[in-house]
Amino acid sequence: MLFLAVFGSLLPFKSWKFVYEDDLGVVPFSPGHILGTDNNGYDLLSSLIAGTRMSVFIAVTAVSLGGLIGSALGITAAFVRGKVDIVMSTLFNVGLAVPNLVLALALVSVLATNVDINQSVPTWRRVMVLIISLTIVLIPILGRIARGATLSWSGRDFVTAARSMGMRDRQIIMKHIVPNVLPALIAVAFLAIGVVIIAEASLSILGVGIPDGASWGGMIARGRNDLEYSPHVLYVPVIVLAITVISTNHLGDVIRSSLDSRESKV
Amino acid sequence: MNSLLSIKDLNVSFDTPRGMLEAVRNVDIEIAAGMSVGIVGESGSGKTVLSRAAMGLLQGSNVHRTGTVVFDGHELTAMTRPDVRSHFGTGMAMIFQDPMTALNPVRRIGAQISESLIFRLGMSKKDALKRSFELLQLVRIPDAKSVLRKFPYQLSGGMRQRVMIAIAISCNPKLLFADEPTTALDVTVQAQILQLLRELREDLGMAMILVTHDLGVVAGNTDYVAVMYAGQVVEFAPTTKLFADMRMPYTEALLESIPKIDHPVGKRLLAIAGRLPDPTDRGSGCSFAPRCKYFQNKCLEESPTLKTDPDGHLYRCFFPIGEAL
Repeated sequence: MLFLAVFGSLLPFKSWKFVYEDDLGVVPFSPGHILGTDNNGYDLLSSLIAGTRMSVFIAVTAVSLGGLIGSALGITAAFVRGKVDIVMSTLFNVGLAVPNLVLALALVSVLATNVDINQSVPTWRRVMVLIISLTIVLIPILGRIARGATLSWSGRDFVTAARSMGMRDRQIIMKHIVPNVLPALIAVAFLAIGVVIIAEASLSILGVGIPDGASWGGMIARGRNDLEYSPHVLYVPVIVLAITVISTNHLGDVIRSSLDSRESKV
Repeated sequence: MNSLLSIKDLNVSFDTPRGMLEAVRNVDIEIAAGMSVGIVGESGSGKTVLSRAAMGLLQGSNVHRTGTVVFDGHELTAMTRPDVRSHFGTGMAMIFQDPMTALNPVRRIGAQISESLIFRLGMSKKDALKRSFELLQLVRIPDAKSVLRKFPYQLSGGMRQRVMIAIAISCNPKLLFADEPTTALDVTVQAQILQLLRELREDLGMAMILVTHDLGVVAGNTDYVAVMYAGQVVEFAPTTKLFADMRMPYTEALLESIPKIDHPVGKRLLAIAGRLPDPTDRGSGCSFAPRCKYFQNKCLEESPTLKTDPDGHLYRCFFPIGEAL
């Protein structure tokens, strides 16, 4: 489903921005517009596909960045222990204590506002800001997972054994800790992709996301206004959103159990 | 004696919520190249801590180590960590107690053996794998080629212990710490592993420190034995001499609590009464006194120091066995 969505952007549809002036608010399964159009004449299928690209791009980028930074910090903290660990886990806890959405909302509205209110913020900058904000939200979540997993693995005998053979700490982390921590991290990362898609949609609904409707959240935001006349405009992106989140969660599970040689073979 | 490893007045203690835990107290041990020394004692007597502290593997802010450890002319206790590390693998190596946890579960055997070859000896990946194959054959693993590609969970305990040994000897160490190498294995495999260690030691000329709680294991595999109790070395002698003429009541009690083949049916096996003293509260007097069948009042008041027989037999007792009271 995800792959179809990603490559769907290459399919020969008219640009989602194309306005079908004669077909306002067409219901789904009409000829010419499989999912119908909204009240502005945008074709929902095209919008959906364009939105998928945006939503998935933002989610995947944010999670990869957040995962990379978070796990690097978490693993280092747990491996070094001592003061570094105390500082790091305090920071993580502070980050976790702030509600995710509020934090992202604050970050976006601060970062994505122009000094001159009349000047509109370009879309690419909104996207960047969105990604950065979501990354910052994700770092403590994934960092904590990495820290916890590392703590439980770094006490094992094979780490001491590697040390007794004269391996450097960095080699031990790369060769022994990371492969063991990875399955847990990947599972959580996929969960996080789902969460981030929703977060991005929520931000869009709240009006601080991508303003011009190129994402699912934007579609929902616009569909919300016309709920009485053409509810399908709202339903279509919501359903797709739900399916996507469920399938990423499931995908995370599958990948985890196939990567985890201990669980699958014992 | 030209010593390979010399431990002088080694003390190791841990900060615990209940106070200072003195795990190793005033241990002196000298080991010559090629020599095999057994360290015996019951659980909790400080054997493992001693061997790990000697290598400098104990880390953490709650560990306190004093005394000196000199390995091959280098004082490990005065060196920085990267310098100590340069002796690991090529100088000293360790075989771990539990082969189930001492191998990384998510990496192939071949990768785990060749790892130290690549990092420590600078071999290429291909050479390292080839050497790993030879090492596996050296530790007598059948079908070594396919084992290289297996994960630890696909091997039995004995096989894993052989892999551990292969890793430990991969860089030709001069001194091998074997920390209870057979405890997690069943008896028939134990014998094979001990046999293997003996042969490897002869072939490669390694010195070995064999940590175990099994006097039987020590008897056939070591030149010298150090008996530990409550963090102290309480008796040290050549293995044959120790068994022929033990001086320390604790050693005698240990030996008596091993079941023998001619043990009368129905008769209770001797156990040493009582428990190890509280390691956070080392009182006055001999630490074995409360459990000793020969103890006298003096034992409760004063701590015995190590005494030496003319033949170099060391013991820590006021009233050693075989001396007129």
